[in-house]
Amino acid sequence: MGVWDHVVAGFLAVLQSDPVLGIPIVLLMVLFGFLLGITVGATPGLAGPMAMAISLPILISIFGYSADALLPVLGFLIGIMKGATIGGAVPAILFNTPGTPDAFMTTLDGYPMAQKGEARRALRIAHFSSASGDTFSDIVLVVCAPFLAILVERYLDLPEKTALLILSLAFIASVIGNSVGKGIISMGLGLLAAMIATGEDFYPRLTLNQPALAEGIPIAAAILGVLILGEVFKALEDIYRGEAQAKPPEQTKVQGGAKSKDLRRLIPTIGRSAIIGTCIGALPGVGSTLAATLGYTSAKRRHTNRPDANSPAFGEGAPEGIAATEAANSSVSGANLIPVLSLGIPGNAAAVFLILAMDSIGGFNPGPSVFQLGGGINEGALNPEMVMAFGIFTTMFIANGLNWTIGGIFMRWVGVMTRIPKARLLPIVLLLTLTAIYVQETSMVAVWITLFFGFLGYVMRRIGMSPLPFVIAFILGGNLEATARQAFAATGADPFFLFNSPIAFVFMALAIGVVAFSLRKPVP
Amino acid sequence: MKPRASAEFWLAFFFLTFAAVLIFVWVPLDTGTGLVEKVRRKFVIGDALGPTVAAAVIAIGAVLVMMRPSEGKALTKTNLYWMLGLFALFAVSLLLMRYAGPIAASFTETGYRPLRATPPWNYIGFLIGGTVMIGGLTGLASRRLAPRDFVIGFVAALAIALLYDLPFEDLILPPNGDL
Repeated sequence: MGVWDHVVAGFLAVLQSDPVLGIPIVLLMVLFGFLLGITVGATPGLAGPMAMAISLPILISIFGYSADALLPVLGFLIGIMKGATIGGAVPAILFNTPGTPDAFMTTLDGYPMAQKGEARRALRIAHFSSASGDTFSDIVLVVCAPFLAILVERYLDLPEKTALLILSLAFIASVIGNSVGKGIISMGLGLLAAMIATGEDFYPRLTLNQPALAEGIPIAAAILGVLILGEVFKALEDIYRGEAQAKPPEQTKVQGGAKSKDLRRLIPTIGRSAIIGTCIGALPGVGSTLAATLGYTSAKRRHTNRPDANSPAFGEGAPEGIAATEAANSSVSGANLIPVLSLGIPGNAAAVFLILAMDSIGGFNPGPSVFQLGGGINEGALNPEMVMAFGIFTTMFIANGLNWTIGGIFMRWVGVMTRIPKARLLPIVLLLTLTAIYVQETSMVAVWITLFFGFLGYVMRRIGMSPLPFVIAFILGGNLEATARQAFAATGADPFFLFNSPIAFVFMALAIGVVAFSLRKPVP
Repeated sequence: MKPRASAEFWLAFFFLTFAAVLIFVWVPLDTGTGLVEKVRRKFVIGDALGPTVAAAVIAIGAVLVMMRPSEGKALTKTNLYWMLGLFALFAVSLLLMRYAGPIAASFTETGYRPLRATPPWNYIGFLIGGTVMIGGLTGLASRRLAPRDFVIGFVAALAIALLYDLPFEDLILPPNGDL
């Protein structure tokens, strides 16, 4: 069976899924996820990963752990991921409050446009740019991920794969946050947490003889604790200290639509930002906020060098400012699945929850083997993982289609979400998260473990240590140790197995190089 | 020493000490096999190597923090009091969640266990604990306890309970899986 057979099978897996009210369930789930994503994105204080985290146990309860569950669940989560990005622009434009951190730059020109009575035009530009960037990024994903995976599978053996994992972790720890040292500590803590009770020996290591830890740390408890609870604790304290918005701001009038000529003029800006966002998104650990900043800065520099008499300056309501930001942050969402699907390495918080879903349901192990022809039971059979990958690509394009068709209309309706006070919303999110953990683990110990990791996530944020290297190292720790064990055994217990092959040596040199280079970053 | 460098120094010192305790005390005492083991005349990686490498990574990070202190963010007393407040609130609300149902059912002949999957008994702990958690957190963040926040907390807890309990027979609300 060739690649095309897998593409068709993946497409059919989506369109021929069990119908509900005559509509394939996967399509419906992408739609629901997308609408929820826009709503969550438009709500300051909430973010796509939060909704993904809370939805996952409910989705697993509905669809179970069979292979048929993967596409509806992943379709819903992908819908949230994409919807949240465009939703973030709504309060940024209407209320000068970014719904998601990556929409901060949208406030700079979006809100001035809204104040001039051009809110509808600003929203339309944001939607058009976001949908364009998203589509471009998905096309790059479909083209690049299989080739990258095939290259990895063909040229990398166990020592090289171990070195590649080390390089990815070093890169993530170095580029996230303002301090390389703190990023590396965060990564070390994540590796340590992954080691608890996971050894090969009968004795459960590092458990301090606590039966509650004998099964290891529940993966959802650690991830939701550090990423969601930690953020909720910090946001609530900011409100307590009067550092966060206490009352919802005044809404501006939604009027003044954009014309087609308006949008055509912005296509070069959108194109440049989409390329920047896609390149940034493909690198693990570098998120959509940096992509949005780079896209905006690049467009601003160009606008300053070649001023346009028909357009106001950046910061005073330039449509190019909105277009550059929204195209860049939206084009991260497709590209960040390149390292997920081809290497099994999550690049950001949204990708973490996609991997968590794949891991919880089973039947799909993201990584280089996904795109192997002949990965089925015999040479002529389909590789079910490759079919699933093309099914995932199909759901992404369906979400794109929804974005182009109903996204713009729906995003104008959800401006009201900004009026919900954070002090009331976040405690509800917290109880939802703890309940989600409990229904998965059925143990109050898991709730306490989640709270422990919540406090850890809070402390990390307060001392300026990014929690993302912790989470990614926690997810990859088991895989890294297993690959290293196999590589050590396969090379005849060679202690220098990471340095003997040229490719592994280059990866290790790059890992050291990226840390050394990042140390040269100016201290803020 | 500038305040920034001082905060970073103590942070790095804490993690260096933690890494040293891990490498020299915790890992040797709490793992079944050493760094490298000989199994059937072949050397294999033991269970102690992974945690030792993790500790070494933490130590390297701490040394880099000492060498290149960054913005010097540190935990303040206010942060510690905030965490203490949160912990106290969680302790109270989770204790209420755990024991409210059994206490209410102690007035029946059967006790809680046979009733733990039957409405309204299975909701009692979750609703009381959840209401206190949501109302208390809102009150803590906005610096005033208002009955309205507890009413919102009750409605939200009820909505969450119904969201999980009504459509899914196999899902168990907290704390009923432990009882």
